[in-house]
Amino acid sequence: MVRTKYGIPEKRSVFCRLFRMLVRRVLSAFTLSAVVFLSNVSVSRADMPYDTYSYNYWGEEVKEPHSYLYAGMISGKEIGTNLSYPADLFVAEDRLYVADTGNSRILILSMDGMLLKEIGSGKDAADTLKNPQGIFVTGEGHLYVADTGNSRVVEYDENGNYIREIGRPVTTLISDGQEYSPTKVVVDGAGRIYVIAYGINMGLVEFNSEGEFQGFMGATQVSVSMFTYIWKNYFSTQAQQDRMETIIPTEYSNIFVDNESFIYATINNLSAEDRAAGADAVRRLNPTGTDILRRLGQYPVIGDLEGVTFGWNYSSFVDVAATDYGCYFILDETDGKIFAYDYDGISLFVFGRNGIREGNFQKPVSIGLSDDESRIYVLDNTLNSIYVFEITEYGRHLLDAIRLNHMGDAQGSTREWQEVLKLNSNSELAYTGLGKTYLTEGNYKEAMECFELGNSKKYYSKAFSYYRKEVMETYLTGAVIALVVLLFVIWLIRRIVRFRRWVGEVRCYMQKN
Amino acid sequence: MLYAEKLKYVFYVIFHPADGFWDLKRENRGSLSASLTFVVLTVFTLGMEKLNTAFLFNNNRISEVNVLVDVITVLLVFVLWCVANWCTTSLMDGKGRIRDIFTAIGYALFPIILIRLPLVFASFCLTAEEGAFYEIFGFLSYLWTAVLIFMGTMMTHEYSLGKTIFTCMITILGMGIILFIGLLFFNVISEIIVFVSTIYKEVRFR
Repeated sequence: MVRTKYGIPEKRSVFCRLFRMLVRRVLSAFTLSAVVFLSNVSVSRADMPYDTYSYNYWGEEVKEPHSYLYAGMISGKEIGTNLSYPADLFVAEDRLYVADTGNSRILILSMDGMLLKEIGSGKDAADTLKNPQGIFVTGEGHLYVADTGNSRVVEYDENGNYIREIGRPVTTLISDGQEYSPTKVVVDGAGRIYVIAYGINMGLVEFNSEGEFQGFMGATQVSVSMFTYIWKNYFSTQAQQDRMETIIPTEYSNIFVDNESFIYATINNLSAEDRAAGADAVRRLNPTGTDILRRLGQYPVIGDLEGVTFGWNYSSFVDVAATDYGCYFILDETDGKIFAYDYDGISLFVFGRNGIREGNFQKPVSIGLSDDESRIYVLDNTLNSIYVFEITEYGRHLLDAIRLNHMGDAQGSTREWQEVLKLNSNSELAYTGLGKTYLTEGNYKEAMECFELGNSKKYYSKAFSYYRKEVMETYLTGAVIALVVLLFVIWLIRRIVRFRRWVGEVRCYMQKN
Repeated sequence: MLYAEKLKYVFYVIFHPADGFWDLKRENRGSLSASLTFVVLTVFTLGMEKLNTAFLFNNNRISEVNVLVDVITVLLVFVLWCVANWCTTSLMDGKGRIRDIFTAIGYALFPIILIRLPLVFASFCLTAEEGAFYEIFGFLSYLWTAVLIFMGTMMTHEYSLGKTIFTCMITILGMGIILFIGLLFFNVISEIIVFVSTIYKEVRFR
């Protein structure tokens, strides 16, 4: 169907289309050659090593234009020194920070992968790192490193000078025999330090800005199916119980702090039971540890729906990165996919893949966004390199539309959604977005049409209720008057009929006499 | 009596099920042709509902709805129930002939037409918040039909309440058995066809 109204071009002549295609090809080839800046890889849209898709209303994967293209790889060759099992990546304004775990050091790279600084391999005992697995950089450029092997968190200043260490939390909540190995660390706007530590399942370990232990935050709840509970507690012998795995709360796999100091946390070892019970694989924690992630989408924020439907091949989230306007990108280890969601928890697009082609992951562990989301960096633990993905025109329009809508710029958002529709006329997201702006503008009829195309019943109902009110207000007076007139006419006719019958009777009577 | 009057009699049946179904059979106030008219209308209503309900209340994917399948499903259930009911009741001293059963069940389907057909139009005037009305009326139509089928069975076969409940359960079981045997038969036949055609090919190619 051709819908010029929404900015989709009408059918053009064959030559015109061919010409446009040619121009687009040349342009994309040109931009791509500019994009491929690292290794001499020549890639085009057609042979991207992955598909980009989104989920439609019915939960089906629908292929769509790529939002991000694989643009190259930063590996030992570019850096000048090889990485060894790197575990974490942090992207700051114009720097990449890599936790080079196997080599017990932190590398600071330029955005192109040039080595700028190396931290943690000094001779001084205090600032020597041992298998650091987590890294965080504050707004002032201070570096927090989860020094896993030394059971501590280390802070460095912007020049890489050692400042302090935050050691094992002083508390009776952890038994003395319990190992304390911090793996991930973040610092929020108020300077509070949150740490994920291996083997500690009471939530995030929270320190205040002085480095004093404050408590645990955002512990996950244990969910046990009734069958398991009864079986375990009433029908098993002690010996059997000892051999069963203990049911413990799931641990967080990674954390990310956004610009509003809320903490995104991912969980990757959810059991099938947890998933069936509707457990969430990603959370957004406020400072009290309550999950405030919005889940207004048709489907839960759980990654691949296939895994949920068929009960196998679940996505397992290892890292998350969020934008300033609430969109977040989750990295999945199972299939090497990157899932993008908007601030309502609605799936935007999915791309990426594990495999052996260039641009496929082996074991992705960490994801980072450049400032304006124009690039996504993914760290691979096995290939010891950083993948770079460059945003496309389509992805730009899509994210801009959401950003502008979030900022309250309805007109700008409409413009962007129209651009999205030009590139992908199947986008339910764009129709819904467009409908929302029509709704605020008061074009209820058009809003309804858009929501129907976008399969958004909730908003359709809203638009429809306004539309119905409008129609009622227009026609109600007329309808009431028409009804009254009609009733009067009926009454009149009946009176006339009765009168004539009476006249007839009188005449009949008079004739008789 | 006229066909039209037999159609009109359905309004008495749905509001006075006990009396209505009794007279339907003893006084010959209904007819098989009227009953089959209601069956056709029911099929039409359900098809219409699938295709033409407003976007808000339509959970079907219009592009993938196959009306023929739905028509056959409804007819199959109707015929299966009647046949299974006849099979059970003829073993359990039921007084109804198969003709009576078909007639009664056809009349019992009327609430579906009466409620669900207007609902299709009403769905265009309702928002999601008012959807509860839609749901309730939809549910009511099925409940009413179920009660009518029950009463129809009771009156046609002159059963007591307990015996009717028992018969209805046996009938549902019977429907399952008929389906099972049907599928089995279908499978066996297709196996035989394959077998014969294989032999034929074998012989031809030698």
